[in-house]
Amino acid sequence: MVLEIKNVSKNFGGIHALRNVSFSIKQGEIYGLIGPNGAGKTTMFNLITNIFEPSSGEIVFNDENITGLKSHKITEKGICRTYQNIRLFSQMSALKNVMVGGHSRSSSGVFSSVFRTKAQRKEEQELEKNAEELLKLVGLFENKDLLAENLAYGQQRRLEIARALASKPKLLLLDEPAAGMNEKETDSLYDLIKIIQSKGITVLIIEHDMPLVMKLCDRIAVLNFGEKLAEGTPYEIQNNEAVIEAYLGKEEEEEIA
Amino acid sequence: MLLEQLINGLTLGSIYAIVALGFTLVFGVLGIINMAHGEIFMVGAFVGVMTTGVLGWPLWLAFIASIVVTGILGYLLERMTLRPLRGKKGVSHLAPLISTIGVSILLENLSHHIFGAGNKPFRTEFAEISIEIGSVSIYIVQIVIFVISIVLMIGLSVWLSKTKAGKALRATAENLETASILGVNTKKIITLTVIIASAMGGIAGILVGMAFNSVSPQMGLAIGLKGLAIIILGGMGNVKGAMVGGLILGLSETFLVAYGDSGYRDAIAFIMIIFILLLRPQGIFGSKIAEGR
Amino acid sequence: MLDFINPYYLQIGSFILINILLAVSVYVPLSSGQLSLGSAGFMGVGAYTSALLTINFDLPIMVGVVGGACVAGILGIIIGIPSLRLTGVYLAIATLGLGEVIRVIFVNWDSVTKGSIGLTGIPQIGRELLNLVRGFGFEPSMIGLKNNQFVFLMVFLLLFIIVMATIWFVVRQQNSRVGRSFSSIQMDEKAAESMGINITYFKVLSFAQGAFLAGLAGSLFAHVMGYISPSDFSYHRAVEILIFTVFGGSEVIIGSIFGAIFLTLIPEVLRFVSEYRYIIYGIMLVILMAVRPQGILDIHLLSRVKGLKRSKGGMR
Repeated sequence: MVLEIKNVSKNFGGIHALRNVSFSIKQGEIYGLIGPNGAGKTTMFNLITNIFEPSSGEIVFNDENITGLKSHKITEKGICRTYQNIRLFSQMSALKNVMVGGHSRSSSGVFSSVFRTKAQRKEEQELEKNAEELLKLVGLFENKDLLAENLAYGQQRRLEIARALASKPKLLLLDEPAAGMNEKETDSLYDLIKIIQSKGITVLIIEHDMPLVMKLCDRIAVLNFGEKLAEGTPYEIQNNEAVIEAYLGKEEEEEIA
Repeated sequence: MLLEQLINGLTLGSIYAIVALGFTLVFGVLGIINMAHGEIFMVGAFVGVMTTGVLGWPLWLAFIASIVVTGILGYLLERMTLRPLRGKKGVSHLAPLISTIGVSILLENLSHHIFGAGNKPFRTEFAEISIEIGSVSIYIVQIVIFVISIVLMIGLSVWLSKTKAGKALRATAENLETASILGVNTKKIITLTVIIASAMGGIAGILVGMAFNSVSPQMGLAIGLKGLAIIILGGMGNVKGAMVGGLILGLSETFLVAYGDSGYRDAIAFIMIIFILLLRPQGIFGSKIAEGR
Repeated sequence: MLDFINPYYLQIGSFILINILLAVSVYVPLSSGQLSLGSAGFMGVGAYTSALLTINFDLPIMVGVVGGACVAGILGIIIGIPSLRLTGVYLAIATLGLGEVIRVIFVNWDSVTKGSIGLTGIPQIGRELLNLVRGFGFEPSMIGLKNNQFVFLMVFLLLFIIVMATIWFVVRQQNSRVGRSFSSIQMDEKAAESMGINITYFKVLSFAQGAFLAGLAGSLFAHVMGYISPSDFSYHRAVEILIFTVFGGSEVIIGSIFGAIFLTLIPEVLRFVSEYRYIIYGIMLVILMAVRPQGILDIHLLSRVKGLKRSKGGMR
């Protein structure tokens, strides 16, 4: 198991954002997290990356309890995320954004940076080369010198993925990567995530685009009002009575089928 | 002796509370620390000196003049330095802070040029009169200051909780967007807030002038920084916190002077700021955790 | 001969150089999003430390200067670690409070600091240098300079070297992993943290560097002036330093340098400005924030001036 969520709960001043949720993700799979707005999906991401600490429960990553570990330590361990409402370093070039992503995989400090030691120069070159490769992967190489804020919306989403990949994660958390994308962009996103999977990176994805989720994910968990409603393969989820009733609703049924 | 110090402390504290209220109102509604508040307060004090000393007006008229002048200053502050920054994309949250610092040094140095650097005496006809209760003597000035401060505090609390404008102000402080959706004219409320806060600064200016019998261009900085310390102590944007914080600071300063080293009197406020920020950044009465996450 | 080596000009030049150091001391923390109003306080700590070390213990000026900068830097770390949990406005107020506490201590710790009169008879860099070269049998007259010309020239050159080294340090740091971490924290703290950046470490680092630089500038100030008093390190000084950076351009280091040069020169060149300096500063801050909050020089302007099409992040 790459990630095990064990009986995790989170309260915000008496409101249960998450209640006793458990699931685990296997090495190399694409795992979907779906549910209506306010079901607690992003809260789950925030708990995994310890932006908040869970009120109770445990989060285990590669057999190591990472509950309460500092955010930047968690990134070092190999979990990196993107944000639902894009959080790029808007005044930095695309290339630099991705290079910042490589922070936890590099080590030069003040001294080596100022005196440009051999090791530091090598490291910078590698960071840059790696960043350029990732930009090629997400199709932004031509735009590497543009400021992040000047990129188109879909490009910004892909840049965020490249930035997260630069931290060489074992587990990648994607928070609604297809939001605001057109059909063509969504298709290329599908390809991109499949490539990421083929590199041996496990993916946990929150997404509202049901056709994409069903096509992409190996397994899916459904959250509703902070509780896990169901878990299973896309086929099982689509045929789960409770899910259809509580979440998918009548109008979306046809779309999924 | 102890009782006299207590009275001195309460008098000083109630003035501090009024100064702090001006900071806290603006912070509550706008989320901005108005670094110019101390200087607006200083201008209020000078208006008092000029009207009573030079023009020979009675004290109540001096109060009104001070309220008018500082209220206008507040309006100008809002229109010319705060509003242009609001809602503008790419403006850092530090911009209003720097902008109001600009206003503060402008006002301080203008008064410096107009009135000179030295202290101006602030005479009131009852300055020397005191009443004896047992072995304790209380100056009338102290009673006047204390009463005015208390009336002002109660008035503000009632206005905030009972009147329509006060409720609108609190709604705006709670959440600007929601308030504007609910039909509150937030622009008007913000302007009103800055005017009221500044006018309270003006009143406090006269009170301080009376209490110390001295007014100078530098007093804005000294008292303003204390006001800041108080709202950090009491919790930013918290009305009750400003009042209690003011009293705490006034009392501790008075007792330090009476029983300790008077040289460090002005340091209390800042040491307080540092400790509070480190131990309980949200202040004594603050419930919200300081921004961050 | 060599009359153009005018002590008055060199003196102004030295003040400009010290002010550049001070402006950079605000710029560095700002590059990671920290507004510090404590620069005058740190400057004072550096100045008093160095002055006291050299007066009371007869230590060489160089030891005093390094000591002053280090004490200020260490104080920066001590204050920085807890207070950097505070964001933006709170940090500004806490550092403002710190600066005032430091000043009050200078005023009241009579036995050591001589109270509000301040310290006099601080060893001066210029004289020390003169004595040094004389020790090698060199006389200023040998290159056609009067003694005081030589003294002011040496001070200017020494400060120039220190400032250049500082700028070199900051620019190099900026274009590295450390500098990228600073700017990413400034742009989005949370995103920076989730990219694996230890934001507390880098914030304290930039804050302490600022404190160190202010302390360095302060100790140099003490040994250039020869006398210091608490009023040299008041809130007004902090505001003046802030204005150098904010006016010149807070996004680029060249902005701080430009701000320090321009705003030190103007009152000297236009005498009537001197009297109304603070009034003009005040109006300037208000207008700047409304019209050009990033200051006179910014990345876009610089890249246009240079006619370069390269990454706008490159010059940060």
